[in-house]
Amino acid sequence: MGIWFPGTAWAPGYGPLDRAIRGRRLLAGPASGIHILMIEDDAAIAEMYRVQFEHDGYRVSIATTGEVAVAKLVDGEPDLVLLDLLLPDRSGFEVLDLLNERLPSHPPVVILSNYGEPSMIDRGRSLGAIEYLVKSRVTPAEISRQIPNWVEQGRGGGQPES
Amino acid sequence: MTVVALVQDLTSAGFVALGLAIAFRWYREKGRAQGKLTIALVALAAVALLGRLPQSLLLSLVAVVALMVSAYFVLLFRDEFLALSRRAHWAAGLVLAAGILDGVLLVTVLQHAPGPVVTAFGFLYVLAWALLIGEPVMRFWLASNSLPAVQRTRMRFLSLGFGMLIVILFVDVLGGSALRSPTAIVITQLLALATVPLIYVSFAPPSLVRRIWRMGEENAVRAAMQDLLIFSPTRKDIAERAVFWAVRLLGGTGGYILDAGGNVIAGERNESAGPVVRAPLHMREGEGTLAVVAGTFTPVFGSDEISQLRAYANSVSAGLQRVSVTERMASIEKNKTQFLNLASHELRGPVTVIRGYVSMLEAGMLGHLNERGRKAADVMSAKVSEMNELIEDMIEAARLEEGGVTLRAVDTDLRDVARAAADAVAPLVDAKHTLELDLSDRRVRVLVDPDRTRTIIANLLSNAIKYSPGGGEVRCQVRLRGGVARVTVTDEGLGIAHDDLAILFTRFGRVVTPQTEHLKGTGLGLFLARQLARLQGGDITVASIEGKGSTFTLQLPAISHDGSADVGRKTPADAMSFTVPDSLSS
Repeated sequence: MGIWFPGTAWAPGYGPLDRAIRGRRLLAGPASGIHILMIEDDAAIAEMYRVQFEHDGYRVSIATTGEVAVAKLVDGEPDLVLLDLLLPDRSGFEVLDLLNERLPSHPPVVILSNYGEPSMIDRGRSLGAIEYLVKSRVTPAEISRQIPNWVEQGRGGGQPES
Repeated sequence: MTVVALVQDLTSAGFVALGLAIAFRWYREKGRAQGKLTIALVALAAVALLGRLPQSLLLSLVAVVALMVSAYFVLLFRDEFLALSRRAHWAAGLVLAAGILDGVLLVTVLQHAPGPVVTAFGFLYVLAWALLIGEPVMRFWLASNSLPAVQRTRMRFLSLGFGMLIVILFVDVLGGSALRSPTAIVITQLLALATVPLIYVSFAPPSLVRRIWRMGEENAVRAAMQDLLIFSPTRKDIAERAVFWAVRLLGGTGGYILDAGGNVIAGERNESAGPVVRAPLHMREGEGTLAVVAGTFTPVFGSDEISQLRAYANSVSAGLQRVSVTERMASIEKNKTQFLNLASHELRGPVTVIRGYVSMLEAGMLGHLNERGRKAADVMSAKVSEMNELIEDMIEAARLEEGGVTLRAVDTDLRDVARAAADAVAPLVDAKHTLELDLSDRRVRVLVDPDRTRTIIANLLSNAIKYSPGGGEVRCQVRLRGGVARVTVTDEGLGIAHDDLAILFTRFGRVVTPQTEHLKGTGLGLFLARQLARLQGGDITVASIEGKGSTFTLQLPAISHDGSADVGRKTPADAMSFTVPDSLSS
């Protein structure tokens, strides 16, 4: 995948897409200022993580489809991407692939999935995800605690080439 | 002289009988190709009959023309299967005309010519005859090689019969006076007589003869039928094999199988090649067709072949039927595993949300909880952890059922794995229990899949807690001794009766006693734990005293200083080819 057609709405500035983004942006606490983009189509899960992350002082955007997510990424510059693999329009792997192609210097990506198959973990890592977590195995607090490390890792080490 | 005359009469009678029999057969079952061969043989019979009648010019003229015509029609018979070119037709016509002219001269103006002239003209006449008949005879013989037994033998008998006639005629015309002795006449006549059954059988072989010819092939066909009934990888394979054998059986050039909907499932549907024989295939979803397309060299199929094709078709339908049943069974099995897989993955979503909010409630993040609220949150947390473990077990069981678990063996400190396992079961530890980790001071290096090993230890720990409902200490000890890494999990719980130890590690095997019947469980935990341990070259053993408690020991081969695993560890290939035990697939 990773094919981009001129005229598709992923490029910045295509208004309707921005309006389609259902995520909410909230000002993060002055302490962190870290902006997290969560790509997650299950509203209940997204909301739950948002409660935790905002409690911990992070700014959270939510994108419910891969397409919205890519637009969002090109538009704003989050510090960390939390990526679900099962999205309505395309797989998280495809989103990641597309990101690598279109935005080589994209923020660090952590995959959060319901699937923990070794082959999927390998694939996620080979595409440059810095971490792969199975959602049901970690609590929101555990994820939240790791966020500064991941952001640091992304800033320090740059993006691993896929 | 009487013997010679008798033999000559006999031969003539033989050819006349042949002509009549063939003509009768043709009358019963008309066909263009057989029609031509019938004309050829009737003409031959006429020649034989005329030879026995009192000599007259007219009869002699009729005889020489009839003989040449018979050869020409054998050539036309061949033309029915392998079309002759225009030029060949012209040449054949020319040879025919020349032969007839030669024959007419021979019986008219040359009747009293000197011996050598008669011999020369006689030779030319026979040559023309041999040219017309020899070409198809050769063709039939060569073509017969690629045909099934019955067709092959028929072709060969036909070739042999006419070939012998050619030889006899040549010998007769060239032999001259040397062959005029009674003995020679008797021998040639008898040889000629011998061709009668050859030709007859080739034209219309009785079923007994066919069966004899086919014997060799029968075995192969029987083996093919058996194959259809016992060996069947896929429906397509079966169908392809069936077509191959059907074509071979009938000596067609091609064939195909249609399913009930008329779709080609094997072979190629090319009906322009020649006539097609069809046999019905009775299948559950309706009637399909097994069809064989006649080849250029295949004279129209005999009724025997057609009935054999029908019998064969019954085996084919049975085979196809069986394959679809096994395929359906396989897909049900697969669906079962897929369901287990899907269900467990789907369960992870809701569990994530419940677990997440419960953890926030416990942390007081969602507002202050009173005492009862906190207790409720604790209980929910424990239950959701149990649920989580159950889901993990289901996923792992599904993986095992799918036929292979790929292990990621890495150099690991077993103490870290034990710590992680203890963390995982921490929510299960209530006020009555204490969980004590007793770890070795030194590193315990093992080459294992850390996630799977954590699952094993977590299963042992959660069992220890679950089966000591009265509370007490659960002790997890990690040691390295004699090249073997050991994790022992000891509880002060219910213990297991000696007789019940055997079923502990079986799939869904749960020891149900009055003390344990209220405890929930799938019986997957220990089964998975042992399977995973064995996949990594280790094992799990148990020692227990009923009423006092149990000790489960996980053994894993440790890594020695040179970095290799000590004990006979299974290679990754072993792990990959791990086969699901019967108990799993039942």
